[in-house]
This record gives sequence, structure tokens and C-alpha cells, in this order.
Amino acid sequence: MAYSDKVLDHYNNPRNVGSLDKGSRHVGTGIVGAPECGDVMKLQVRVNESTGIIEEAKFKTFGCGSAIASSSLATEWLKGRTVDEALRIKNTDIVTELSLPPVKIHCSVLAEDAIKAAINDYKAKQAGGAAVTPAVAETVAG
Amino acid sequence: MTCWQCGLPADALFCGGCKALQPPPSGYFEFYGFPRKLAIDSAELQRRYYALSRQLHPDRFTRRSAREQALALEASSILNDGLRVLRDPVERAEYVLTAEGFAMPGQRTKDVPPELLEEVFELNLALEEMRSGDASARPALETARSHFQSMLNGADSELAGLFARWDESGDRAELARIRGVLNRRKYITNLVRDVNQALQ
Repeated sequence: MAYSDKVLDHYNNPRNVGSLDKGSRHVGTGIVGAPECGDVMKLQVRVNESTGIIEEAKFKTFGCGSAIASSSLATEWLKGRTVDEALRIKNTDIVTELSLPPVKIHCSVLAEDAIKAAINDYKAKQAGGAAVTPAVAETVAG
Repeated sequence: MTCWQCGLPADALFCGGCKALQPPPSGYFEFYGFPRKLAIDSAELQRRYYALSRQLHPDRFTRRSAREQALALEASSILNDGLRVLRDPVERAEYVLTAEGFAMPGQRTKDVPPELLEEVFELNLALEEMRSGDASARPALETARSHFQSMLNGADSELAGLFARWDESGDRAELARIRGVLNRRKYITNLVRDVNQALQ
């Protein structure tokens, strides 16, 4: 299967690989996975508490090229957005940007779930109920 | 059911009157004449496969009608697909789970517990670190391989226990538990695959 140039670019030069301190109250962590392909994806955001703007985003994905590219792109998009803007990122935006073929759409869904899980984890921490384990996104049918 | 050829009552694969092959059941358990259970007698399965293979061999249908030849082809395909699914405990369980509305979640993650994902993530991370190391990482990789292998064995014996419980009770809660173990097992098989690749 041929990957698009954008997928290859993110795959060969993934942006923002790494991790943030998951214990920090400014950091939201989301770990998601899809049993069918066995992929697992971790995405973290560090949020400026006073502005609500995501200042840093990191990811680490074990999976196929499309899953890596989807999460790499997601971290690029997250930086500079507010948490509420971040929640409006749709998997279809990722599909369009990366020209993902139908069989790889689930990779973009995974990335969207990871964003939601990370933001929800951050929000839970801010609400005081410091989540010990990263929340898995309570997803809305997309 | 009556025989499509002679009109006599027909409740087997072949009509008792005119011996014509009947439209085969599409379900694998029904086709092989097994109850819909997760535990199966694999020697008996193999025996039935050989017996049915002989009965459905194309050579036996060369002088039959086009309709019967088509049925023989259809039955052979169910015979082979059925064997592949029924003889493998995981495939067999996936088959039953899908029919019962517990198909593997393909795109959504909410059915996977976060603790499992964290564990899998950490294992992957450790594996990656070992892989990027030099030859001195080999003993650690071998330790990881036996660790993943024993996780796999643990999942398989857990499955065997759950299979027996569902066969006995028919309780759908057992199917949900089986779904969980199968999801976990899928990740473990990926880890085993990756560590084996790294050790090659």
C-alpha cells in the first residue's frame, strides 16, 4: 500500500515525540489503543492554566505509519490551541490532511480519541479529581 | 426440510432417498454437527473433516446435475473455512463472539481498559529500548520474550476456563470477559511477534 507524501514525512520525521510529566497538574495524558490492529498511542498536552492554551504536546505511538503520522500531526495542531478548540479537532480533518485511505481511517479515529482522552484527563485534574490513570475518551459517534 | 430433488423429508447433508446433496448449513458448528460450544473435541473435528472431504470431493459430482455441483462447491468452501475457524481456539471464540454481538472493537477504544493500554505501552517502550541497544541487550530481550510468552500462556489458560464456564452457563457476562481477554491477548501476540523479530 502506498502512503501519501505527508504520511511519509510525518513517519520519517515525526514531530514532538516524547513524554511530559504525567504527574503534573498542567499535563493531560491520553493512552488509547485499537485491539484489532494492536496499536497503542500515548498523547500528552501541557496547558497554560491561566490562558487555557496548549503550550506543548508530545506523543509516542507503537503502530503503523498512518497511526504515527496521525498522532504526529495531532500534536502539531494542538500547540497554540485552547483546550476547547482542541476538542473540536475531528478525525476527518486528519484523514483529509494526510490523504488516508479508507483502511487507515481508524488510525485517525485513534488520534482523535487520544486528543479527547488527554484533554479530559487535564480537565479532571483541574476539577480537583486528580485522575491517577489517564482517562480513555468517552467517545461520541463520529 | 424436504429434498430439493425428490421431495422426501431431508434432515441431513445428503437426502436419505435419492442421495442428493442438500443446501449446506452456513454456520460452521451446524455444518460440522457440533453443539455451539467454545470447547471442541479437535480429534473428532479432524475426523469429521476427512469424512466430509471424501463425501464432497468434486470427483463424486462429475456426473451430477449442475445444481448439485454448485452445492458441492458451496459445501466444500464451508467445510474448509469451518475447519480453519473451529480448530483454532481464538478464531473459534471470535466467531462465536461476533455472532453474539461481541465483535472485536475495530475503531473505538472505550472497550479497552486504560490499565491494559498503559501496561502494553510500557512493555512496548521497554522493548524498543532493548532493540535499539547493541548485542548486550540480547539477554534482556530473551527475558522479555519468555515474559511475553508466559503472559500469552496465562491468557490462554484464562480463556480455557472462561470457555468452560460459558459452555456450562450460557451467561453472556462470560462472553464479555472473554472479549476482554481476547483484546489483551491480541496485544500480547504483537509483543511476542516484535520481540521475536528483534531477536532474529
